[in-house]
Amino acid sequence: MRAAAIQRMADALLRGVGGRSVKLRLPAPAAGGDVTEELGLATPSFQDVAMWPVAFRRVWAKTSEGKATEKELLVSAKTVEGMVGSLGHASASVLFAGAFGVLVDDVLLEIVSVSAAEAMGEVYAYRLVLREPQALTV
Amino acid sequence: MQNAKDTFYMALRGRLAELNPARTMVVRGAVRPGIVVEENELPSAGTSTDAFVLQWTALKVDPHGPMPLAAMSCDIRYATDGAIARTTAGTTAGTTGNGGMDRGRMLGEMDAELVQAIEPRSAMKMNYAETPAAAMATRVFWSDVVFGAVKAVGERLTRTATVLVFAYQEAGEL
Repeated sequence: MRAAAIQRMADALLRGVGGRSVKLRLPAPAAGGDVTEELGLATPSFQDVAMWPVAFRRVWAKTSEGKATEKELLVSAKTVEGMVGSLGHASASVLFAGAFGVLVDDVLLEIVSVSAAEAMGEVYAYRLVLREPQALTV
Repeated sequence: MQNAKDTFYMALRGRLAELNPARTMVVRGAVRPGIVVEENELPSAGTSTDAFVLQWTALKVDPHGPMPLAAMSCDIRYATDGAIARTTAGTTAGTTGNGGMDRGRMLGEMDAELVQAIEPRSAMKMNYAETPAAAMATRVFWSDVVFGAVKAVGERLTRTATVLVFAYQEAGEL
């Protein structure tokens, strides 16, 4: 009950600060016994799963000369829990560890780290630190 | 050169699987022998412990002689945290079975496996881009393993060993 209330409040806050939608790109399971992927001859297919509501903490963006920019994305815990359940992952950390990245406006950002934000012992959001591709570095 | 790289990996993979069938890793849900080529995996694949990670580094080509001779440096990186529990997803849970006090022994096991797997130091070059893989005319051969010093970061022990892999470039080969 308390967890649901905290998560609803977090979702309302995320929507209130311009909550938007991004996609989590997940690689398909590897083909067992097929060495073509191991040799780089075949690439896995990908599945894009929408995450909403999410919000960027723009003031947090880390920029330094010659290095890719890092941004922090806050993702609704309720959304993540739904994805963990529907996609059959053991936990949120396993879900994000296996992900290829986050698609933001058709740009794929690499997941650098993931941490859970808690209040009163309940997870209300996940903080994802994302790195922009080096090709976009100015 | 790609055929030589593939051949070296497949030779090592087969030998390691035979030496220690229990050394496996889970990559995107599939159980594989505990060896990967870094450049063939997704950039987001992360760090693997208790597995061998191959990284191709330096390259030198000697154009003199009937066929160009390519010399490629292969770094074989491996790390261990000691006895670990595996989750159902195959990732390390970090709960050490005995406080990680056997990490030196486990690294020693990996050293020994690599020493054995590297022998014999040649294999027939194969073209794995064809199905089934086709044997080529020359062999791929390689040097002894040069073991680097162990690096300790927290409880994790890491070593990088280097092997120099040689192969003749056959006509029409990339």
